[in-house]
Amino acid sequence: MKEKKYGFRAAVCLSLLLTVVLIALMVGSYHISPFQIVQTLLGSGSKLQNFTVFQIRLPRIVLAVIVASALGVSGGILQGITRNPLAEPGMIGINAGAALFVVLWISAGTTDYYSTLPVLTILGMPLLAMTGSLLSVGLIYLLSSKSGIRPVRFILTGIGVNGGILAVISFYQLSMSKGDYNQVLTWTNGSLWGSNWNYILLTAPLVILLIGAVLFRSKNLDVLALGDELAAGVGLSVPKERLLFLLLATFLAALATSVAGSIAFLGLLGPQIAKRLTGPVHGKMLPMAALISSILLVGADVIAKNLFSPLEIPVGIVVSIVGVPYFIYLMIKER
Amino acid sequence: MGIEIKNLQAAYEDRIIIPDASLVIPKGKVTMLIGPNGCGKSTLLKSIARTIPAKRGSIYLHGEDIRRMPPKSLAKKMAVLPQSPLVPEGIQVKELVAYGRFPYQKPLSGLKRADHEIIRWAMEKTGVLELEERRVEELSGGQRQRVWISLALAQKTGVLLLDEPTTYLDMAHQLEILELLRKLNHEEKTTIVMVIHELNHASKFADHIIGMKQGHILFEGTPKEVIHVENLRKLYEIEAVLMENKDKGYPICMDYSLICE
Repeated sequence: MKEKKYGFRAAVCLSLLLTVVLIALMVGSYHISPFQIVQTLLGSGSKLQNFTVFQIRLPRIVLAVIVASALGVSGGILQGITRNPLAEPGMIGINAGAALFVVLWISAGTTDYYSTLPVLTILGMPLLAMTGSLLSVGLIYLLSSKSGIRPVRFILTGIGVNGGILAVISFYQLSMSKGDYNQVLTWTNGSLWGSNWNYILLTAPLVILLIGAVLFRSKNLDVLALGDELAAGVGLSVPKERLLFLLLATFLAALATSVAGSIAFLGLLGPQIAKRLTGPVHGKMLPMAALISSILLVGADVIAKNLFSPLEIPVGIVVSIVGVPYFIYLMIKER
Repeated sequence: MGIEIKNLQAAYEDRIIIPDASLVIPKGKVTMLIGPNGCGKSTLLKSIARTIPAKRGSIYLHGEDIRRMPPKSLAKKMAVLPQSPLVPEGIQVKELVAYGRFPYQKPLSGLKRADHEIIRWAMEKTGVLELEERRVEELSGGQRQRVWISLALAQKTGVLLLDEPTTYLDMAHQLEILELLRKLNHEEKTTIVMVIHELNHASKFADHIIGMKQGHILFEGTPKEVIHVENLRKLYEIEAVLMENKDKGYPICMDYSLICE
């Protein structure tokens, strides 16, 4: 991939993202024109416009970008370390582990979800989700590794654990009140409902830090693609690197899940599309994956919010509707 | 000095493949490991490469214990070419060869001018320079093998380990690879250690042959010393008919049959 070509494609995708963001700012139960959006952003909007843009739409969009970037990069890493284009955090139990813990917590009796969330909840959720993800990844790791991770076994075990956790979640849902049930449903399908700046302040620095750490070591991911033996031959500590990247991918997916629930397929689509645009070098592919995933999620959220307005469908469902056909296409193509 | 192996015990998980092996692989020579399937020759190579950690015993490279060496320092002294490395999707020849410079790179630094020169040199040496812009997936088996050797060369090591580099290649390409390795040995004084199946290749191209059976070292020495009817009987359980090459004197296996009791 030539530098120029990469720069051009990145620029196109970036302007595409800005376009989607603009649309997301405009469209809704209260329509704002593009000109008014620019005015509002520059600080001369009306009170209503200010509130709509800064308190409702913008946090949601920013959070979508953070969540999508985290999932896109996480999926890209997982596909790299397992050498499998079908790997993604939603499929191998990482999202489910996070969702399970949140569900357990909701079913343990918090009732604040319709009012403003107390600070403890906002701080507690990501921690809880992170613990859940780490535990489920830990379980998969224990079950699938004898000495280091065997990629295929890891994925198969992950799919199994994922199924198990989803079953436990369903079991809890059966014995829940309707309010809890709805809350859990939003969680397991993924939704950006209730986004606010607090979530962003909490997740943005961590996601940026983690993605930075990944990009700093991205060359090691490239080397891993040569196979374990050759990677070790050129001086990579294969088991150590793989575990490290697995942890980074887990943290990223857990952060995303902690604020937006379990959004499936995004971690699959983003990196796969990005790979076709940039080639396999992770230093270029992963940022592109973040960009593509962001476009997809912001776009999907516009649809989720407005298609059946005033009813809102979980954005994860919209992503899945786009994702499933692509997933099948990939399966057929990979033979 | 070369590579010194002392009381090595090698195993996959709990299955012991090599119970106790000690030997010295001479420096600056071409050493070939031969023996029947499952005899432990690949395991021995992988132990030297540190792909499989040694259960017991130690391996010294030029007097230094390889277990104490950081992975990247080892990769600057010893290159490894496994039997079936993976080709990253869509990668070009020169991009693949560039991975040979990985041990010399820092996390964010790109390839320096000196690196580019070495990559070019490595491609030239193996005759793949004219293919540098091609995708590795499109290449033939023989070309691809030369690209992998080129990657190993770009590591600029004194030692090169290869696991069956000629398998899956036709006769002419097998010869081409072996000639190439011999040339590298002569011109760069690279110590070459490889696992090989074809007995005649070993006796023609090796300076030093190590015969292995059931995890034990049966014999070692120059082709002239060790390739004789008695040793082949023990190694492969075959009855061989040998001839001597008129110019260079290495033994050639003309015909062979299974030993029937």
